[in-house]
Amino acid sequence: MENIHITSSPTTPYFPEVDFNAQTGVCELRGESYMEETYKFYLPLLNWLKDYTTKADNKVELNVKLIYLNTTSTKCILDMLEILKTFENNGGKVKVNWFYDKNDPDMVDEVEDFEAESGIKIELHEFVN
Amino acid sequence: MDTKSILNYRGPFYIELISVFGSNIRNLNDPYSNARKKLFKIFIELSQNVSNYSEDFHVVNNIQRIGIGELSLNVSNMHYEFTTKNLVKDADAKILSERCELINASDYLRLRDLKREQRINSPGEKFGARIGLIQAVMLSKNKLDYYTEKFNENFSYFSLTVKIDKH
Repeated sequence: MENIHITSSPTTPYFPEVDFNAQTGVCELRGESYMEETYKFYLPLLNWLKDYTTKADNKVELNVKLIYLNTTSTKCILDMLEILKTFENNGGKVKVNWFYDKNDPDMVDEVEDFEAESGIKIELHEFVN
Repeated sequence: MDTKSILNYRGPFYIELISVFGSNIRNLNDPYSNARKKLFKIFIELSQNVSNYSEDFHVVNNIQRIGIGELSLNVSNMHYEFTTKNLVKDADAKILSERCELINASDYLRLRDLKREQRINSPGEKFGARIGLIQAVMLSKNKLDYYTEKFNENFSYFSLTVKIDKH
Protein backbone atom coordinates (compact mmCIF):
# COMPACT_ATOMS: atom_id res chain seq x y z
CA MET A 1 0.00 0.00 0.00
CA GLU A 2 1.11 3.55 -0.73
CA ASN A 3 1.53 6.12 2.01
CA ILE A 4 -0.51 9.31 1.83
CA HIS A 5 1.35 12.53 2.41
CA ILE A 6 -0.34 15.90 1.87
CA THR A 7 1.51 19.06 2.83
CA SER A 8 -0.15 22.29 3.86
CA SER A 9 0.24 25.69 2.26
CA PRO A 10 -0.20 29.15 3.75
CA THR A 11 -2.45 30.02 0.79
CA THR A 12 -4.82 27.12 1.49
CA PRO A 13 -5.01 26.93 5.29
CA TYR A 14 -8.40 25.22 5.06
CA PHE A 15 -6.73 21.92 4.02
CA PRO A 16 -5.07 19.86 6.74
CA GLU A 17 -1.68 18.23 6.49
CA VAL A 18 -2.00 14.48 6.19
CA ASP A 19 0.39 11.61 6.85
CA PHE A 20 -0.96 8.06 6.57
CA ASN A 21 1.86 5.55 6.88
CA ALA A 22 1.17 2.04 5.62
CA GLN A 23 4.39 0.65 7.17
CA THR A 24 3.72 1.83 10.73
CA GLY A 25 -0.08 2.29 10.73
CA VAL A 26 0.37 5.77 12.16
CA CYS A 27 -2.11 8.20 10.58
CA GLU A 28 -1.97 11.89 11.37
CA LEU A 29 -4.08 14.94 10.52
CA ARG A 30 -2.75 18.40 11.40
CA GLY A 31 -3.85 22.00 11.01
CA GLU A 32 -7.36 22.99 10.01
CA SER A 33 -10.12 21.47 7.94
CA TYR A 34 -12.84 23.60 6.36
CA MET A 35 -12.39 23.17 2.62
CA GLU A 36 -15.08 23.15 -0.05
CA GLU A 37 -15.98 19.71 -1.41
CA THR A 38 -14.99 18.10 1.86
CA TYR A 39 -15.84 14.54 0.80
CA LYS A 40 -13.66 14.84 -2.28
CA PHE A 41 -10.72 15.49 0.05
CA TYR A 42 -11.57 12.84 2.65
CA LEU A 43 -12.73 10.01 0.37
CA PRO A 44 -9.19 8.81 -0.50
CA LEU A 45 -8.34 8.86 3.22
CA LEU A 46 -11.45 6.84 4.08
CA ASN A 47 -10.69 4.34 1.29
CA TRP A 48 -7.09 4.04 2.47
CA LEU A 49 -8.26 3.23 6.00
CA LYS A 50 -10.79 0.68 4.69
CA ASP A 51 -8.06 -1.05 2.67
CA TYR A 52 -5.51 -0.92 5.46
CA THR A 53 -7.93 -2.39 8.00
CA THR A 54 -8.80 -5.40 5.86
CA LYS A 55 -5.66 -7.07 7.26
CA ALA A 56 -6.50 -8.07 10.81
CA ASP A 57 -2.87 -8.07 11.98
CA ASN A 58 -2.41 -4.41 11.08
CA LYS A 59 -2.41 -1.83 13.86
CA VAL A 60 -3.72 1.71 13.51
CA GLU A 61 -2.81 4.78 15.51
CA LEU A 62 -4.82 7.84 14.49
CA ASN A 63 -3.47 11.16 15.75
CA VAL A 64 -5.78 14.12 15.23
CA LYS A 65 -4.10 17.49 15.69
CA LEU A 66 -6.73 19.76 14.16
CA ILE A 67 -7.17 23.12 15.81
CA TYR A 68 -10.36 23.72 13.86
CA LEU A 69 -12.65 21.57 11.75
CA ASN A 70 -16.00 22.58 10.33
CA THR A 71 -19.09 20.46 10.85
CA THR A 72 -18.83 18.83 7.41
CA SER A 73 -15.31 17.71 8.28
CA THR A 74 -16.58 16.32 11.59
CA LYS A 75 -18.86 14.01 9.58
CA CYS A 76 -15.81 12.72 7.68
CA ILE A 77 -13.83 12.22 10.88
CA LEU A 78 -16.80 10.30 12.29
CA ASP A 79 -16.73 8.10 9.18
CA MET A 80 -13.03 7.39 9.88
CA LEU A 81 -13.77 6.51 13.50
CA GLU A 82 -16.56 4.16 12.40
CA ILE A 83 -14.13 2.33 10.08
CA LEU A 84 -11.71 1.99 12.99
CA LYS A 85 -14.46 0.77 15.31
CA THR A 86 -15.44 -1.96 12.85
CA PHE A 87 -11.75 -2.95 12.63
CA GLU A 88 -11.51 -3.05 16.42
CA ASN A 89 -14.67 -5.15 16.68
CA ASN A 90 -13.04 -7.62 14.30
CA GLY A 91 -9.96 -7.95 16.52
CA GLY A 92 -7.79 -5.13 15.13
CA LYS A 93 -5.67 -2.95 17.39
CA VAL A 94 -6.65 0.73 17.35
CA LYS A 95 -5.45 3.78 19.23
CA VAL A 96 -6.95 7.23 18.69
CA ASN A 97 -5.22 10.30 20.14
CA TRP A 98 -6.83 13.73 19.93
CA PHE A 99 -4.65 16.76 20.58
CA TYR A 100 -6.41 19.95 21.62
CA ASP A 101 -5.69 23.49 22.72
CA LYS A 102 -6.46 23.82 26.43
CA ASN A 103 -7.88 27.27 25.72
CA ASP A 104 -10.54 25.74 23.47
CA PRO A 105 -12.89 23.84 25.79
CA ASP A 106 -15.48 23.37 23.01
CA MET A 107 -13.13 20.85 21.38
CA VAL A 108 -13.30 18.59 24.45
CA ASP A 109 -17.10 18.41 24.09
CA GLU A 110 -16.65 17.62 20.41
CA VAL A 111 -14.35 14.70 21.22
CA GLU A 112 -16.84 13.37 23.79
CA ASP A 113 -19.48 13.44 21.07
CA PHE A 114 -17.20 11.54 18.69
CA GLU A 115 -16.67 8.88 21.36
CA ALA A 116 -20.40 8.56 21.97
CA GLU A 117 -21.27 8.43 18.26
CA SER A 118 -18.54 6.03 17.14
CA GLY A 119 -18.18 3.91 20.28
CA ILE A 120 -14.39 4.16 20.07
CA LYS A 121 -12.12 5.28 22.91
CA ILE A 122 -10.32 8.58 22.22
CA GLU A 123 -7.41 9.73 24.36
CA LEU A 124 -7.25 13.47 24.85
CA HIS A 125 -3.91 15.27 25.00
CA GLU A 126 -3.15 18.95 25.37
CA PHE A 127 -1.02 20.49 22.65
CA VAL A 128 2.49 21.12 23.89
CA ASN A 129 3.93 24.28 22.35
CA MET B 1 -24.46 51.04 23.52
CA ASP B 2 -22.06 51.83 20.65
CA THR B 3 -22.12 49.33 17.82
CA LYS B 4 -19.49 49.44 15.12
CA SER B 5 -19.62 47.73 11.76
CA ILE B 6 -16.32 45.99 11.05
CA LEU B 7 -17.12 43.89 8.00
CA ASN B 8 -19.72 44.03 5.24
CA TYR B 9 -19.68 41.98 2.06
CA ARG B 10 -22.00 41.05 -0.76
CA GLY B 11 -20.96 38.64 -3.50
CA PRO B 12 -19.87 35.06 -4.09
CA PHE B 13 -18.68 33.19 -0.97
CA TYR B 14 -15.45 31.70 -2.31
CA ILE B 15 -13.47 29.69 0.23
CA GLU B 16 -10.38 31.85 -0.38
CA LEU B 17 -12.37 34.90 0.64
CA ILE B 18 -14.01 33.24 3.64
CA SER B 19 -10.58 32.13 4.79
CA VAL B 20 -9.11 35.65 4.57
CA PHE B 21 -12.08 37.18 6.40
CA GLY B 22 -11.80 34.41 8.99
CA SER B 23 -8.13 35.12 9.51
CA ASN B 24 -8.91 38.82 10.05
CA ILE B 25 -11.53 37.87 12.64
CA ARG B 26 -9.05 35.71 14.52
CA ASN B 27 -6.62 38.61 14.57
CA LEU B 28 -9.04 41.31 15.72
CA ASN B 29 -7.24 43.60 18.06
CA ASP B 30 -9.15 43.00 21.29
CA PRO B 31 -8.61 40.94 24.43
CA TYR B 32 -11.57 38.54 24.00
CA SER B 33 -9.73 35.53 22.58
CA ASN B 34 -12.32 32.92 23.64
CA ALA B 35 -15.15 34.92 22.08
CA ARG B 36 -13.08 35.40 18.92
CA LYS B 37 -12.50 31.63 18.68
CA LYS B 38 -16.25 31.06 18.84
CA LEU B 39 -16.89 33.88 16.40
CA PHE B 40 -14.42 32.35 13.91
CA LYS B 41 -16.10 28.94 14.08
CA ILE B 42 -19.59 30.42 13.69
CA PHE B 43 -18.37 32.68 10.89
CA ILE B 44 -17.03 29.70 8.91
CA GLU B 45 -20.15 27.57 9.42
CA LEU B 46 -22.67 30.23 8.45
CA SER B 47 -20.58 31.52 5.55
CA GLN B 48 -20.22 28.00 4.17
CA ASN B 49 -24.00 27.56 4.44
CA VAL B 50 -24.35 30.55 2.10
CA SER B 51 -21.65 29.16 -0.19
CA ASN B 52 -23.27 25.72 -0.35
CA TYR B 53 -26.98 26.47 -0.32
CA SER B 54 -27.73 29.96 -1.68
CA GLU B 55 -30.10 29.81 -4.65
CA ASP B 56 -28.20 32.71 -6.20
CA PHE B 57 -24.86 31.28 -7.28
CA HIS B 58 -21.91 31.26 -9.66
CA VAL B 59 -20.89 28.10 -11.44
CA VAL B 60 -17.14 27.57 -11.58
CA ASN B 61 -15.60 25.31 -14.26
CA ASN B 62 -19.10 24.13 -15.20
CA ILE B 63 -19.23 22.05 -12.03
CA GLN B 64 -18.75 23.81 -8.74
CA ARG B 65 -21.49 26.00 -7.41
CA ILE B 66 -20.50 28.99 -5.25
CA GLY B 67 -23.35 30.68 -3.42
CA ILE B 68 -23.83 34.43 -3.49
CA GLY B 69 -25.06 36.27 -0.43
CA GLU B 70 -24.32 38.94 2.14
CA LEU B 71 -22.55 39.01 5.45
CA SER B 72 -22.03 41.63 8.10
CA LEU B 73 -20.12 41.69 11.35
CA ASN B 74 -20.85 44.27 14.02
CA VAL B 75 -19.12 44.72 17.32
CA SER B 76 -20.17 46.44 20.53
CA ASN B 77 -18.76 46.57 24.05
CA MET B 78 -20.65 43.45 25.03
CA HIS B 79 -20.75 41.21 21.96
CA TYR B 80 -20.09 40.45 18.31
CA GLU B 81 -23.06 40.12 16.01
CA PHE B 82 -22.68 38.14 12.80
CA THR B 83 -25.35 38.11 10.06
CA THR B 84 -25.68 36.24 6.78
CA LYS B 85 -28.39 36.68 4.17
CA ASN B 86 -29.03 34.65 1.04
CA LEU B 87 -31.69 33.64 -1.43
CA VAL B 88 -33.65 30.44 -0.71
CA LYS B 89 -36.68 28.72 -2.23
CA ASP B 90 -39.86 29.56 -0.34
CA ALA B 91 -40.31 25.92 0.64
CA ASP B 92 -36.77 25.86 2.07
CA ALA B 93 -37.36 29.14 3.93
CA LYS B 94 -40.23 27.46 5.75
CA ILE B 95 -38.09 24.40 6.61
CA LEU B 96 -35.23 26.63 7.78
CA SER B 97 -37.53 28.75 9.95
CA GLU B 98 -38.99 25.63 11.58
CA ARG B 99 -35.50 24.32 12.15
CA CYS B 100 -34.40 27.58 13.79
CA GLU B 101 -37.53 27.50 15.95
CA LEU B 102 -36.74 23.96 17.12
CA ILE B 103 -33.13 24.89 17.87
CA ASN B 104 -34.14 28.01 19.78
CA ALA B 105 -36.60 25.99 21.86
CA SER B 106 -33.95 23.43 22.86
CA ASP B 107 -31.63 23.60 25.83
CA TYR B 108 -27.91 22.75 25.56
CA LEU B 109 -28.29 19.05 26.37
CA ARG B 110 -31.13 18.64 23.87
CA LEU B 111 -29.04 20.43 21.24
CA ARG B 112 -26.16 18.08 21.89
CA ASP B 113 -28.47 15.09 21.39
CA LEU B 114 -29.89 16.67 18.23
CA LYS B 115 -26.40 17.26 16.90
CA ARG B 116 -25.37 13.65 17.51
CA GLU B 117 -28.57 12.26 15.95
CA GLN B 118 -28.32 14.57 12.95
CA ARG B 119 -24.64 13.89 12.29
CA ILE B 120 -24.87 10.14 12.62
CA ASN B 121 -27.94 9.99 10.37
CA SER B 122 -26.69 12.47 7.76
CA PRO B 123 -26.08 10.80 4.39
CA GLY B 124 -22.78 12.74 4.18
CA GLU B 125 -21.30 13.34 0.73
CA LYS B 126 -22.86 16.53 -0.69
CA PHE B 127 -25.08 17.04 2.33
CA GLY B 128 -22.42 17.62 4.96
CA ALA B 129 -23.37 17.03 8.56
CA ARG B 130 -26.34 19.44 8.60
CA ILE B 131 -25.47 20.61 12.08
CA GLY B 132 -24.06 24.09 11.43
CA LEU B 133 -26.99 25.96 12.98
CA ILE B 134 -27.03 23.72 16.05
CA GLN B 135 -23.29 24.24 16.40
CA ALA B 136 -23.71 28.03 16.17
CA VAL B 137 -26.16 28.05 19.10
CA MET B 138 -24.13 25.57 21.15
CA LEU B 139 -21.05 27.75 20.73
CA SER B 140 -22.68 31.14 21.26
CA LYS B 141 -25.26 30.00 23.84
CA ASN B 142 -27.55 32.60 22.28
CA LYS B 143 -30.66 32.07 20.22
CA LEU B 144 -30.76 32.43 16.44
CA ASP B 145 -32.34 35.64 15.19
CA TYR B 146 -33.85 34.95 11.77
CA TYR B 147 -36.34 36.37 9.29
CA THR B 148 -37.47 35.86 5.74
CA GLU B 149 -38.18 38.56 3.20
CA LYS B 150 -40.10 37.82 0.01
CA PHE B 151 -38.02 38.31 -3.17
CA ASN B 152 -40.41 37.12 -5.89
CA GLU B 153 -43.10 34.51 -6.50
CA ASN B 154 -40.87 31.53 -5.60
CA PHE B 155 -37.92 32.85 -3.66
CA SER B 156 -37.20 34.70 -0.42
CA TYR B 157 -34.17 36.07 1.36
CA PHE B 158 -33.30 34.24 4.55
CA SER B 159 -31.39 36.27 7.10
CA LEU B 160 -29.70 34.79 10.14
CA THR B 161 -27.95 36.60 12.99
CA VAL B 162 -25.93 35.09 15.82
CA LYS B 163 -24.73 37.09 18.77
CA ILE B 164 -21.50 36.07 20.51
CA ASP B 165 -20.99 37.48 23.99
CA LYS B 166 -17.52 38.80 24.74
CA HIS B 167 -17.67 37.82 28.41
